[in-house]
Amino acid sequence: MSGQQAPVKPPTRRRSASQWAVAWRRFRRNKAALAGLVIVGFFAFLGVFGSTIAPYPARDPVCFYTGCTSLGPFVNWSHPLGTEPAGYDIYSEILQSAKNDLYVGLGATLISLGIGVSVGALAGYRKGTSAALLLGISQIFFVLPALVIILLFARIFVTLVAVGLGLTLIMLILGLFGWPGIAFVVRGEVIRLRELEFVQAERAIGASNTRILYRHIVPNILSPIIVFATLTIAANILTEVAISFLGFGDPNTATWGLLIQEGFQYPNYWWIAVFPGLAVVFSVLGFNILGDGLSDAFNPRLRE
Amino acid sequence: MVTYFFTEAGVVKAVDGVSFSIDEGESVGLVGESGSGKTVTALTILGIVQKPGRIVSGQILYRGQNILQLNQEESRKIRGRKIGMVFQDPNSSLDPLYSVGDQLMEVVRVHSKLTKEEARKKALSLLELVKISEPEARLRAYPFELSGGMKQRVAIARALAGEPEVLIADEPTTNLDVTIQAQVLELLRGLQKELGMTLILITHDMGIIAEMTTRIVVLYAGRVAEVASTKDLYKVPRHPYTYALLKAVPRIDARKQLVPIAGNIPNLITPPTGCRYHPRCPYATQECTDVIPPLEAAGEGRLVSCHHWKELATKKELTFA
Repeated sequence: MSGQQAPVKPPTRRRSASQWAVAWRRFRRNKAALAGLVIVGFFAFLGVFGSTIAPYPARDPVCFYTGCTSLGPFVNWSHPLGTEPAGYDIYSEILQSAKNDLYVGLGATLISLGIGVSVGALAGYRKGTSAALLLGISQIFFVLPALVIILLFARIFVTLVAVGLGLTLIMLILGLFGWPGIAFVVRGEVIRLRELEFVQAERAIGASNTRILYRHIVPNILSPIIVFATLTIAANILTEVAISFLGFGDPNTATWGLLIQEGFQYPNYWWIAVFPGLAVVFSVLGFNILGDGLSDAFNPRLRE
Repeated sequence: MVTYFFTEAGVVKAVDGVSFSIDEGESVGLVGESGSGKTVTALTILGIVQKPGRIVSGQILYRGQNILQLNQEESRKIRGRKIGMVFQDPNSSLDPLYSVGDQLMEVVRVHSKLTKEEARKKALSLLELVKISEPEARLRAYPFELSGGMKQRVAIARALAGEPEVLIADEPTTNLDVTIQAQVLELLRGLQKELGMTLILITHDMGIIAEMTTRIVVLYAGRVAEVASTKDLYKVPRHPYTYALLKAVPRIDARKQLVPIAGNIPNLITPPTGCRYHPRCPYATQECTDVIPPLEAAGEGRLVSCHHWKELATKKELTFA
């Protein structure tokens, strides 16, 4: 950032490179990050079009009627990834599950972001009792074991699960308990920025606190927020898998975790668990390397 | 004015009874060592002291109106529109995310209801005002693409966007190269004349202050030590601290050894009793330890806060005439 060394671009350019353009340029050169973007893009595509591509509807025991149960993979091309003893087609189930897994992963992350950024920004910007109180609340939520609480809630609100809101319930709880990490990151960054002179300069020109916080401080910390959010999506998908695997999910909604759990019940039919497992591994891997790539792209110290 | 910082280690009395007045169109220097309360004085004038600091008492009279008593909305209107401020470090005083034009237009639009196009024109004219080369192109530049001197020009343009009547410049050249310093000072002086602004220049550089100001307020440990016209102050300092301060500045015409001021600026949580300068003052007496010296008139337009200024005035060695 030191002014003297920064090269002054010739003024003929239409608009000079913003922070985002610089980050994108760096991101593009990072092969791993691009691979992450491609994987995430692929799963996003499955999330949107998975139900259309899938040959059979979700949770439809097709082979139960036609007698093609317990087929292995790559045997019958109507059921490329095999079938379950209960008659479900694995290929269809995986495609149908994509949107549900992404729904939980993205939805919970958005909720966490909303709460975490607000709480963190206020806890960092304010001083005194209110800031200490917000920090205290974040810390309490941070030490609560989210998974145990989710399992508990899934049992308490079993009626919601019955009407098909099981997935939404899991998403809500994941979101409502997953925000302290984001809040801490945001708080730390806001405390750093709060004392910089451009914030004082904003005060000196008569800008209101709200304006300073939302137009100048939060945009300046968007990069760590985006990185953190990407990694949180991956973590949330994994947690959802864990919940379903433990049998606390919604048995009527197709998710990868549910398939893995069903596979676990039939140890002789390895394909039931392995293929949805691969979907989980690759989607989580995709989000993680995308997050890492973004974090490198935004890191000013790596500026060439 | 009195501004304290309520820290865990104790109450830091950063500004403790500073009082001075400034005439319209004047350029006043605020001088003192680091930690003497210069910047806090400026923040107090603007009413933007942040926690744990608090303005404990006092008033800032702007055209007879105490601006510390205005409500939040009204005092925000004063800031920027009546009083503008330029900060020390141009590298951190601009938001790195917005282009120069966006930042200037923001200020313009905070203060007046202009359309985007009008605001852009205004921003352009501000850049021309601070004599930036190729203002049209700079409007689209981001702070990291500008040099330190240019950034400081942009910061000045931003402070001027609300067309303030008073401009406070807090060490505006400390972080710049010497050659750029001269340019920025020249610019500030030109702008002050051109726009008829009142300038409050905060610095510890006695050379800059001599060139730029007509009157000087010397601060020591959160109190006013001396107020005098620049000419008088340099010729005949009345306060022993001012004398010591001038003695510590290298002069090209007199090859004398520099005399540092012995000791350090006191801890402002437990400041010295009586005159705050007495532990470092070679002329201190028992009276200085016990009694706070009043700020008394000492000749034409001069104020000094020292028990012994009359005796010291007779001593020849304390003048530079």
